[in-house]
Amino acid sequence: MEEAKYKYIGRSVPRIDALEKATGKIKYMSDLSLPNMLFGKILRAKYPHAKILRIDTSKAEALPGVVTVITHKDVPGLNGFGIVVPDMPVLCKDKVRYIGDAVAAVAAETETIAEKALSLIEVDYEPLPIVDDPEEAMKEDAPKIHEEGNIHLHTEIKRGDVEKAFKEADLIIEETFFTGRQDHTPLETEGGVAFVDEEGNLNVYVGSQYPQRDQLQLARCLNWNPKKIRVVSYPVGGAFGRKDELSIQPILALLAIKAKRAVKITLSREESMIAYWKRHPFKMHYKVAFKNDGTLLGVDAYLVEDKGAYSSLGGPVLNLAVEHACGPYRVDNVHVDGYAVFTNNGIAGAFRGFGAPQTAFAIETIMDIASRKLNIDPIDLRKKSALRKGDKTSIGNVLSTSVGTELVLDGIRESNIWKNREELRKISTKPWLKRGVGVALTYQGTGLGVGIPDYGGAILSMNEDGSFSVRVGTVDYGQGIGTSYAQIVAEAMNIPIEKVKVVLGDSFLTADSGPTSASRGVYTGGKAALIASEKMKKTLKEKVSKLFKTDEDNVEFGFGYVYDKVSGNKVTYEELAKNFKEEGKLPEEEGYFLVPTAEIKIENAFGLPHHIFAFSAHTAYVEVNTLTGEVSVLEGAEAVDGGIVVNRQGFEAQVEGGFVMGMGYGLTEHLAIENGIVKNPNFSTYIIPSIKDVPKRIETIPVINPEDTGPYKAKGIAETVMVATAPAITNAIYDATGARIFSIPATPSVVYFAIKEAESEENFD
Amino acid sequence: MKEIDYFFPKTLEEALQILNENKGSMRVIAGGTDLVVRLKQGQVKEDRLLDISRIDALKGIEDRGEKIYIGATTTHTEILEHPLIKTSVPILHDAIKSIASLQIRNIATIGGNVANASPAGDSIPALFVLNGFVFTKSIEEERKIPIEEFFLGPSKTSLKENEILVGIEITKMQDDEVGFFRKVGQRKGTAISVVNGAVRLKKDSKPNRFSKAFVSLGAVAPTVVRAKIVENALESEEIDSLDKIMYISGLVFREVSPISDVRGSLEYRRDVSINIIYEGLADLFLNGFRRS
Repeated sequence: MEEAKYKYIGRSVPRIDALEKATGKIKYMSDLSLPNMLFGKILRAKYPHAKILRIDTSKAEALPGVVTVITHKDVPGLNGFGIVVPDMPVLCKDKVRYIGDAVAAVAAETETIAEKALSLIEVDYEPLPIVDDPEEAMKEDAPKIHEEGNIHLHTEIKRGDVEKAFKEADLIIEETFFTGRQDHTPLETEGGVAFVDEEGNLNVYVGSQYPQRDQLQLARCLNWNPKKIRVVSYPVGGAFGRKDELSIQPILALLAIKAKRAVKITLSREESMIAYWKRHPFKMHYKVAFKNDGTLLGVDAYLVEDKGAYSSLGGPVLNLAVEHACGPYRVDNVHVDGYAVFTNNGIAGAFRGFGAPQTAFAIETIMDIASRKLNIDPIDLRKKSALRKGDKTSIGNVLSTSVGTELVLDGIRESNIWKNREELRKISTKPWLKRGVGVALTYQGTGLGVGIPDYGGAILSMNEDGSFSVRVGTVDYGQGIGTSYAQIVAEAMNIPIEKVKVVLGDSFLTADSGPTSASRGVYTGGKAALIASEKMKKTLKEKVSKLFKTDEDNVEFGFGYVYDKVSGNKVTYEELAKNFKEEGKLPEEEGYFLVPTAEIKIENAFGLPHHIFAFSAHTAYVEVNTLTGEVSVLEGAEAVDGGIVVNRQGFEAQVEGGFVMGMGYGLTEHLAIENGIVKNPNFSTYIIPSIKDVPKRIETIPVINPEDTGPYKAKGIAETVMVATAPAITNAIYDATGARIFSIPATPSVVYFAIKEAESEENFD
Repeated sequence: MKEIDYFFPKTLEEALQILNENKGSMRVIAGGTDLVVRLKQGQVKEDRLLDISRIDALKGIEDRGEKIYIGATTTHTEILEHPLIKTSVPILHDAIKSIASLQIRNIATIGGNVANASPAGDSIPALFVLNGFVFTKSIEEERKIPIEEFFLGPSKTSLKENEILVGIEITKMQDDEVGFFRKVGQRKGTAISVVNGAVRLKKDSKPNRFSKAFVSLGAVAPTVVRAKIVENALESEEIDSLDKIMYISGLVFREVSPISDVRGSLEYRRDVSINIIYEGLADLFLNGFRRS
């Protein structure tokens, strides 16, 4: 096996920050406190859609203990942010577009005073009609949320002749699907501190997935030299896409600048849930054509994305959904028509899976229906059309990088659940408890796609004691990339992993390595660290060849030392560091890596296609209580192609965490918004899986499928591991009960009524 | 959160005195697991809190022969760990075990669960079928109130402004009695009931016959309710088939008036209140009505 030759790659390496995290010693951005610090609070909109007629802050300003009150008037630069279109106001001026919109903010000596001051700010509104149904919002005469209209993006892809496919089909499946508005629920809500230091630099310590982009977005809002803005984002208590975009940062920065003091903001869970990012709900109508032998002839899909009030990454999310709408299958007759539509339903942005979980639910449910109607084993059916290397994807690009569809399907076939499914589904402890097994396949584009600058960067420097520091701009928000980078450097430099110090997510100290998103952290930052290590080794070779007066080719690397293989002379890294120091300066090398992209561009679909994909097959074993609709996930399994695995235990943790997040998406999680108002903004009503809901076993099956372009042939798995869990579970519910789920989350109520409907259809038949 | 005055009496007499002096502007707090949440949300009008958690006289479990007395500030964990509870009132044990999380059960009290008067309170259906009584005290009087008469509506009880709930009394289950507690939440752990219910049956000398039946349901009406029609049916019919059990459980329909809220719809609550009674009875039937 390829991994056997490695000391660190592919091993289970404990996280470098595990002890600090387990003991609670580590300080997250929200834990930071500074002397003489103020507390900030944000006044949110009173209506989900309204004109602002007047804002009067005088009473709040007069309250003792209030240091600063800010409104739109205090935004010196562009009063807007957003990764693609900066249309979300820092502080609203004329209009509010959702119930979490920020209108004013206060910095005061205590949180209580700041809270009180908010209640003294007077805002007059003229309420506008609420737009809460995306399809209604698309109509010509719908009230406009933004002046340009409510359709943020329309992406349509046509290939082949889908009408002909339907004429030639033996089986046509036509269904409509709905998916929920999932909250990322990171343990750490939006929070942190900001201050201007003695050198006039603005320091912003707030959890982020891309400090260098925050730096630029903040510079634009503040009219401030980006070089004078330091964004620090390590460690972060979870992100999952939520912290890709800005949230409180511009307000926090404005308060600190105006107050000339450090300011801290920490959001309560309720405020976080009401005010910030979510996964976009989708309505999807699919019509899919099959031949009797299982051949996938054609897909016609109509996707409507509930964008919420502002753009952020909703356009790219739609495009990724369009790209992944047909699943990892060969299909030559395709029509995918997608719309991203503004509504007053909160705001949505990046979230693990980025459009893929929505369409995976639809297409994988259809594959399950087809396998039953055609009487073909669900894995065989998927294999029949599964993309292979060299195939064209549904949107027409040729797959030239590693493709793992067959490997993951073979892998999942060998899982405990699938192997024993016939026996497992028969187990019945009570007449009303039904068991079933379901499977689903998916893939996930890694990296940012065509036309978007996509690169990794790393700085590697030798320290005085002979250890090394690697500095990468991507962020460790729990997924463990810091440990992966340490493994990659330790492996490349042939040194103990304890000798690698990792610095992440600091716009002043670390190399820009792009956003920590799109399953790209290990792939890009890791590759850059590897390139920097190779450069470092070259520098060390030169040095040692001079030292031992030998040819560079004779210099080799032992574990923690460098030696001349002719004379046998050796020098430790510590001695080498001393030597460098005496002669002037310790070596520092930079590694940069441009992510390869596809050779073609899909017209009118920015970012498409992706070039590198991770693949996974998911299976779930469930028990359904037909009297109540309660679903217990008894066991799960995932076979995952992430290239060569860098950290085995990190891989397992990602799979387990991804499966459970997928369970929440499939079974319980949906932020309910009625007339623009959030009905379930806390953990008593917004239901995430508890440890009692998690299956006792989630089997992790890595498949070995080297990706030649990645560091040690690795690629990212962070998203794909959650994407197909929901359809695996809903397909298992069908297997158990005969009730088909078309809308997630499949809450007990949804499942219960689906069973009732299935029973009445059966009686009718 | 607003500023509040906090009182920490050591004796019940002192507590009753303070409460009497502040009646109308004071709330009693024990574990605080519900009250503090509501305080934070600005839903508590009183600005004084009387903390009764340090009064020894309000704590503990007493074996009173055929009855068990539980002091109001006994925590859920203390109740679960008491040997008498699991053996003599397994219905209550199962109900309390299903409440929230270990951390909350460590601090939340049975008096709080009752006085809070949530229609979804999990201990309440169990107390209903165990012939529960609520004991109250004020500086003027002591009262012993049948649990069914204690609740007036959501968050409304017959407690007077100067009264403290001091304890609960329940009847032990005899060897010829079986029963169950069942709840349906939105997930397994740390869930609030969408529907809950409890049943206790006293076996007759004839098989599949019952001389006494108690059935109660929660979260399907403004207060926890007794399902008397179902009880009558269980006492008059021979419970000899699943079909019979379904027929009888269907009578629950006549006794509930649920609403739709963020946790569940009216239709779901109505159907599932029937089905959990069916499920529990069917379970007992399939087990030959043996005490497991």
